[in-house]
Amino acid sequence: MSETRTLPRASGLARFKGANNEGVLALVLVVLIIGMTIISPSFFSVGTFFAILRSSIVPLVFALAVLIVIISGGIDVSFAAIAIFAAYTAVKLTGSGNFDPGLIAIVLFACLIGALLGLVNGAVIARFRLSTLIVTLGTQGIFRGLLVAYIGSRYIADLPGSMSAVSTSNLISLEGGGANAYLHVLVVPVVLLCVLIALMLRRTMFGRGIYALGGDMEAARRAGFSVVRIQIALYVLAGVLAALAGVFHVILGRNANPQDLVGTELDIIAAVVLGGASIFGGRGSVLGTVLGVLLVQLINNSLILVGVPTAWQRTAVGVLLVIGVGIQAISAKRESKRVLVNDEVKE
Amino acid sequence: MAQTSNKPDLRTPGGFNAQIDNGMGAMLGRLTRDRSVVRMLVLLVAAFAFFTLLRPSIFLNPLNLENIAVSAPEIGILAIAMMLAMLTGGIDLSVVAIANFTAITITTLYAGLAAGNPGQANSLLPLILLLGLALAAVAGWFNGFLIGVIGITPILATLATMQILNGIAVVWTGGQTLYGAPESLSVIAKTTIAGVPVLFLFFLLIAVVVAVLVNVTPLGLKLQLQGANPVAARYSGIGSRGVLTSTYVTSGLLGGLAGIVFIARNPTASADYGSSYVLLVIVIAVLGGTNPAGGFATVAGVVLATLTLQVVSSGFNALRLSAYEYSIAQGVILIAVMVADQMRFRARRRKRDLQPPVPAAPETQGKS
Repeated sequence: MSETRTLPRASGLARFKGANNEGVLALVLVVLIIGMTIISPSFFSVGTFFAILRSSIVPLVFALAVLIVIISGGIDVSFAAIAIFAAYTAVKLTGSGNFDPGLIAIVLFACLIGALLGLVNGAVIARFRLSTLIVTLGTQGIFRGLLVAYIGSRYIADLPGSMSAVSTSNLISLEGGGANAYLHVLVVPVVLLCVLIALMLRRTMFGRGIYALGGDMEAARRAGFSVVRIQIALYVLAGVLAALAGVFHVILGRNANPQDLVGTELDIIAAVVLGGASIFGGRGSVLGTVLGVLLVQLINNSLILVGVPTAWQRTAVGVLLVIGVGIQAISAKRESKRVLVNDEVKE
Repeated sequence: MAQTSNKPDLRTPGGFNAQIDNGMGAMLGRLTRDRSVVRMLVLLVAAFAFFTLLRPSIFLNPLNLENIAVSAPEIGILAIAMMLAMLTGGIDLSVVAIANFTAITITTLYAGLAAGNPGQANSLLPLILLLGLALAAVAGWFNGFLIGVIGITPILATLATMQILNGIAVVWTGGQTLYGAPESLSVIAKTTIAGVPVLFLFFLLIAVVVAVLVNVTPLGLKLQLQGANPVAARYSGIGSRGVLTSTYVTSGLLGGLAGIVFIARNPTASADYGSSYVLLVIVIAVLGGTNPAGGFATVAGVVLATLTLQVVSSGFNALRLSAYEYSIAQGVILIAVMVADQMRFRARRRKRDLQPPVPAAPETQGKS
């Protein structure tokens, strides 16, 4: 697909729209919130807001991992398997709650596992130039198989003390009036991660390298980027992020279940793509991704409030994906047509 | 499989070089095609021998062999559908969802009719089956529309279709397993002709039809060109819209047929039957010599790959290994095959870079 850089347009509307349609997405979010408030006034409350934030914690960290892979022109479906592998193994090694090395040690250990598994992905993909979808499909099967067959298949209900302490701590708790609102403390590291990844993508050579890789791998190579090194590093980073998401999931759910998470990959990818990241690489932003994840969570939440059975969620996300990506595809087509016409004029 | 032998005719006027190129291309194509089929045959025999040596009594049991033959068709048909999508450079993640959707539609309709009047339900069975297939074709057409007309990437388009169909199936069934699939189908599934289960013959028939479609018909040629080089295909006047639509309608139809095989083999239907099949089917397609980037595939390779993986699966059962160990094996096989293909491709390219192109062709023949 020919990615065409559009010239910066000066109009305020275009600036509002944002490089990856972030403005449009924000507008959709606002319209949805207003619509929901009109339908059911109880929707517009701090409690709902905090609940949506809480449900976005794990998807958002996953989405960051997926984002950097998608910007680099790849696609990763193994992140959920990496997440539960890392988190479950970390919990299991602490003797299922008997021995507690402290939260930081557990998190670091999980990240180490995530990095190793990410390294497997990155090494195979970068070394052999294989289709990222197919490699990560394969590693997904391998990681999950290894976890359940050799590490453990049992549900662990008692977490180490340091982890379960986090499970119940809230950053803000508003009580009274029958509607209690809690903002979970894990929101803090998630916001921090978003800021860090955004800075990395925009300000560091590594971040720019990821965009360059996704834009055109050969051009990136000729521009002097070490394609192999960047690709390996970004999958390691995606592995670490996935491991963090896994730990957060375990903390929020207050149990470690090896059967969890795998199967939710597609929702995350849908959210990232809705957030304006191009599946062909080279485009995407943390802001768009955050909005995409919030949109999916908001819609899931709204469906319940409106009285639509939760079973429709999957269909709703699918329809949303078709609409979001369809609009992107049609506008891309229009753009490429315009370019073709220009070419003919030149010749 | 039907191999079109297009030998360059040296007597006809026209550029000699073009004829050499043409002949070389055909030969290279045939070589790679044959090689992936030969490789699959070797792997199949090796896998069979391996498990026979380890557990002869269990593995060579006629019941086990029949099991392999009965469980292979549904996976094989799905793999052929996946192969078709990959041939055009796409992927169809929704085949399993389409199959389940078809199975649920047929089961619900039949069970609903049979509750009132069993005789009528049986006489209407062909109509119900056709309706199920029509729905599958519509789902496939929707994929084709999203990909060919709107221009959405196949991964995302079929992902969305998968989510939508799966969601509808979950709502429809309430997440439960449906019973009451047509009994006459189960009866057909249990019959054998000369010791070979009918289902397996049905699978072979579908494989032959698709092989003819790909190798003999103009549509098949367009499919291959579209996958090999979409830009060149467009400039040669191939309408990608029509080609992609017919590809995904066909893969949808194959998904529907797999759905019918689902309920014939096991008279229940549920939304999440075969959820592990998506990975398995991709493994089979790639193992069978399908190039995931498009332009190249063989039905014979895919059929052999299906059998090989079924042999591995039942061998794992015989060795009392779990489904998770089988999933590890699938992942390892998938990556190993891709790496091996990539290494060979690089070796060949290096060889071609070093030497003039003409003598390079026979050299590639050696290894298999």
